Amino acid sequence: MLALEVIELTKTFNGITAVDKASFNVPGGSVFGLIGRNGAGKTTTLRMMMNIYIPDSGKVILHGKEVGQDFKDSVGYLPEERGLYKKMKVMDILLFLAELKGKKKKDVEKKALALLEKFELANRKDSKIEELSKGNQQKVQFISTILHDPEFLIFDEPFAGLDPINTNLLKEIILSMKDEGKAIIFSTHLMDFAERMCDHIAMIDQGKIILSGEMDEIKSRYAKSNVSINYEGDISFLKNHPIIERIENFGNSTGIKVKSPEQIQELLKLLVQNNVTVKKFNANEISLHEIFVSLAGKENGND
Amino acid sequence: MINRRTLAVIKRELKVRLLSKTFIFMTLLIPLFMFGIIGIQVLLQVASGDEHPHLLIISESETIDKVLKDEFLNSREVREGSLSVQFDIAGKDIQEKLIMHKPDLLNEKLTGIVYVPDSSLDNKEIRYYSTNPNNVSLFNRIKPAINNALVDLYFSRKSLSLKDIEFARNDVDITGFRVTKAEKIQEEGYGNLIALFLFSFLLYIALIFAGQMTMNAVVEEKNSRIVEVLLSSASSRELMTGKIFGTAIIELAQMAIWLSPVIILISTAWFAIPTEFIMTLNLSYILYFLLNYLIALITFIGLYAAVGAIFDNPQDAQSGVLPLILLIMIPFFIALSLQSNPQSPVAKVASFFPFASLIVMPARMSLLEVPFMQVLISFVINVTVMLLIFPLVGKIYRVGILITGKKPKWSEVIRWLKYKY
Repeated sequence: MLALEVIELTKTFNGITAVDKASFNVPGGSVFGLIGRNGAGKTTTLRMMMNIYIPDSGKVILHGKEVGQDFKDSVGYLPEERGLYKKMKVMDILLFLAELKGKKKKDVEKKALALLEKFELANRKDSKIEELSKGNQQKVQFISTILHDPEFLIFDEPFAGLDPINTNLLKEIILSMKDEGKAIIFSTHLMDFAERMCDHIAMIDQGKIILSGEMDEIKSRYAKSNVSINYEGDISFLKNHPIIERIENFGNSTGIKVKSPEQIQELLKLLVQNNVTVKKFNANEISLHEIFVSLAGKENGND
Repeated sequence: MINRRTLAVIKRELKVRLLSKTFIFMTLLIPLFMFGIIGIQVLLQVASGDEHPHLLIISESETIDKVLKDEFLNSREVREGSLSVQFDIAGKDIQEKLIMHKPDLLNEKLTGIVYVPDSSLDNKEIRYYSTNPNNVSLFNRIKPAINNALVDLYFSRKSLSLKDIEFARNDVDITGFRVTKAEKIQEEGYGNLIALFLFSFLLYIALIFAGQMTMNAVVEEKNSRIVEVLLSSASSRELMTGKIFGTAIIELAQMAIWLSPVIILISTAWFAIPTEFIMTLNLSYILYFLLNYLIALITFIGLYAAVGAIFDNPQDAQSGVLPLILLIMIPFFIALSLQSNPQSPVAKVASFFPFASLIVMPARMSLLEVPFMQVLISFVINVTVMLLIFPLVGKIYRVGILITGKKPKWSEVIRWLKYKY
């Protein structure tokens, strides 16, 4: 089921093209990751999807129609830099933000209480935001994002600045929303997270979408002739070896690409012959990180 | 223009602001502050004269000495003890007396020495010796007594009746009458001058406070990053409209509270006011004033909100807001200048000038009967300006609100107006 179609979104600031004809599809009931390094154009793309920025060209289509205010009302949006009115009380701000989304106070008050209960904040509903700890402020922000029962969740770098407890909490929220059949779109530069959570991805680099589609399909496409190994010993003899196309060291694992798929067995034999202790040998496996590096080149923004 | 999202923003503004301590505090404090300022001025004026000046009045001849004694010792100031005087006769040589009393002058036992020579009977010129020889407030206190003494003496040598002399002694007393279209010509008191100060001052201080508060709120929204959350639900236009209208409603209510005593004073006969303090204002002026205030609020709050959106911290915003403060302050001073000449041509021009008109026209109207046509023209100008700047302000707000980091230059802000956002 196709939920959201992003077609050739383009945005230029001061003559610099931040996003260049970005197109991708977000299927309903999926977790969609927009992946790229810092400054690649992720936030600008998401802001254009929310109509916070008006695109120079391009459009977003939902159920065959260009999105408008109805779409805004049906989205829970969590920006990268989050904030709340510090002087407002927890319950007041939740109701205010839901009202902006078109919900009436009496319709959401009960749900707000239930969510506060779930996140162990029920006793703080009359506290001012500034009186809460940072972690609890983040929880209030999560609640405000889902309180109006959105069809879509758009999260910009959702895991930036979260403590481990809230990271898990947010993951739970994402997965339970997915179970309810909602579409979750998030941007991240953390490949591991994306790899573990997304069913669909789009990779963006220097404002251009360089890859998009279903995660499994992409991985199997790139995994051919690829081996991911963990080892002890010296593998420098593999450099310039005739069957090897490329070796990439990713710290905790090493990715080796052979020239053709049938040479994988030969690679294993070579390693054993050269007294390398092989701890893990995954044939036809590739990490998102490896795919990204092979497409976008080496860079240091992958922390 | 107003939809449910704008309404939600307006409701939030009202809820947060009306119940805030600042609002309650300001509502009570401003009237106190105004009375305080007037009180301080009165106090300063009282305190500016020497508390108890001690004068030595030296006459050249006994004749003059005698009338001066009569006049001074019978004056209210000396009888009440706020001025003490002693007398002496010097003959031709004042220098000797000066040398003798110089130490008293220097150690301030004596405030000053007044020398009244015989020649003053011809030219009314006298001399004053003191460490502070330009004490105007003291001169104003002693001049009437000396003048009276000289006048008495001068005319007593001519054969004039007491009534003639009485006439000569009196100073001119001017009573102003206000001529309006109404049939009756009314005696003019201080009431309208008080009205001028009251209304101009309220307008000035309320606009600056309202603007400042809006600006700080916008900077805070930008700074705390909630604005992006808000923008994911509502457009920047809806947010800005809600904010401006919300603030305008609050400030209008506050102004109505401040003016309620004035409204009661002029619309009822519950209080007996001395005629010289009666204002010629009527209720329609108050209504005009409030309507004009609403337009001024929307205009200036919009401008302040735009400045708030340009900067992302209160310090930068404070420096950026200076042109706006001048836009309110200069008309305010022009309005005050009306007290010396209500027909001032500068004020007349200013009362049709964009922005200035909002402050100067109500001030003119408190003193003069401004022809209806002029009021209408200025009103149309003000509404037009308000409608023209609204989209500009909206554009700056929209672009600025999401830009953080480096403080933008004014040239960049101008460029924002051309952006497609």
